[in-house]
Amino acid sequence: MIRRAVLVVLGLVWLGPTYLLLVNASRPADSYDPGSAWIPSGDFALLENFASAVEGANLSGSLASTALYSVVSPLLGVVIGALAGYTIVVLRLRHGFWWFLLIFGGTVFPSQMLLVPLFVGYSDAGLYDSRAGMILLYTAINVPLAGFVLRNFYSGVAFSIFEAARMDGASTWRIFWRIYLPISFTALAAVFILEFTFIWNDLVFGLTLTQTEEVRPVMTAIAGLMTDVYAGTPVPVGLAAGLVVSLPTVVLFLATQRLFARGLALGSVH
Amino acid sequence: MLGRFRYGYVAPAVLLVAGLLYAPFVWTAYLSFTRYDGLESPAWIGLDNFVKLFDDAALLTSTRNTLIWVVGTMVLPVGLGLLVAVLSYDIKGGAWFRVPFMLPYALSGAGLAMVWSPILSHDGVANRLLGVDTAFLQDSPYNTLAMLLVWTWQQLGVNTLLFVVGLQSIPKEPIEAARLDGASGWRLFRHVIWPLMRPLTAVVVGLALVAGLKTFDIVWVLTQGGPGRNSETLAVTMYKETFVSSDYGYGSAVAVMLTVVTGLASYLYLKRQVTAT
Repeated sequence: MIRRAVLVVLGLVWLGPTYLLLVNASRPADSYDPGSAWIPSGDFALLENFASAVEGANLSGSLASTALYSVVSPLLGVVIGALAGYTIVVLRLRHGFWWFLLIFGGTVFPSQMLLVPLFVGYSDAGLYDSRAGMILLYTAINVPLAGFVLRNFYSGVAFSIFEAARMDGASTWRIFWRIYLPISFTALAAVFILEFTFIWNDLVFGLTLTQTEEVRPVMTAIAGLMTDVYAGTPVPVGLAAGLVVSLPTVVLFLATQRLFARGLALGSVH
Repeated sequence: MLGRFRYGYVAPAVLLVAGLLYAPFVWTAYLSFTRYDGLESPAWIGLDNFVKLFDDAALLTSTRNTLIWVVGTMVLPVGLGLLVAVLSYDIKGGAWFRVPFMLPYALSGAGLAMVWSPILSHDGVANRLLGVDTAFLQDSPYNTLAMLLVWTWQQLGVNTLLFVVGLQSIPKEPIEAARLDGASGWRLFRHVIWPLMRPLTAVVVGLALVAGLKTFDIVWVLTQGGPGRNSETLAVTMYKETFVSSDYGYGSAVAVMLTVVTGLASYLYLKRQVTAT
């Protein structure tokens, strides 16, 4: 009984800000008053508020860019990482473990160690503030994890599959593309979801490497709504923007929860 | 035949990682020994940037704040997460009791700031609710503590989830045996459940340690390290020195320091965990 009581009290405290978010993101933009923030408004203006955030901060370009980054980069990343894992494990690359360490080692660098050279290098190479530059960087960041999970996955696949396909005369590329890639679908999907979420929520690389509204990722653009002194965004508009841009990762995660758990389990068991 | 393509197949992965992760890493390490503004070429100045680190009042503040973040994230979201997990993992409808804690996890850094800034602002909800007039995000180190509570609000759920999974997978027999022997409540937790949960807790605390050291997003969106520079963390200081003050060399030195501290802390922590078990 005490356990339930503690959980309920703590839960109510935790629900408070969530409640405030929902209630105030839905009230008409000009009717926010901190004194009556707890009282729901009769009007439901969530979509209008989000629309005015999109319009005011020109979010439509950054939403499209972010969608592009968070889909294309993880796709490229998992295929490149899977190919490396396949080569190391199945094609038995010489010194394969060291190649694996080299690729996986890319995960340990804090982003602060990358910012200055990326900024200077991107400016010199004409990649600063470009979608191609962002896709390139996000892809590189995805490769180590993809390589790690897929190397583990392929270690658990019977080698006889490869031998049989070789007997039938299939090329190594064809075996990768038609056999190994499809059988690792759940592992690929799990990595994809993690990377999608990482890119969708990224703030610091967007802050450092982009400038224009069209290229800037949406989290960086949203942070601008907050931090830009001149923005003066009404509270309900800001809340609606924060709420709606958080939805894609939630929906993706809920929709693929099972697949996700299964994929990671496969990646680690073998 | 096989051998010809092998290197071509790992090449994309190796080139991407080497070009966009390793090379910048090495380049930043080099820049930390130079004076560099991004325009003229870097000039070698030896250890000057690192000497300056020890003589910089703002850096002292941001080191202290980072320390608060590290200790705070290791204690609050992890401790409360464990509490909620232990209270809810074996009661009927436990998952429903956990819903309030899971919801905030859906918000990312920027969304999080959107929710809390009207609550914590001068004329905000928190002041009215508590009947006080506190500038939550003004005075140091209270602004760091306030942000730490916001962080706890968001992170508690995921830690709870990890602990629940852990609790549900520990063997039932020792707990049943202890129950038969009359152990319950705190004693059951302290002497039976806790020892079984230690390895998982070590992982969760380790993750919190690294995350705490790298704190950036939430500070950037809520205070940008201000007012003045009093809520900066090392990661924020690095960003500001580089991209606000255009002191790339000094910014790189802060990045190197952060990396060394993170590496050292992780190493010592791992070593302690290994010797402890």
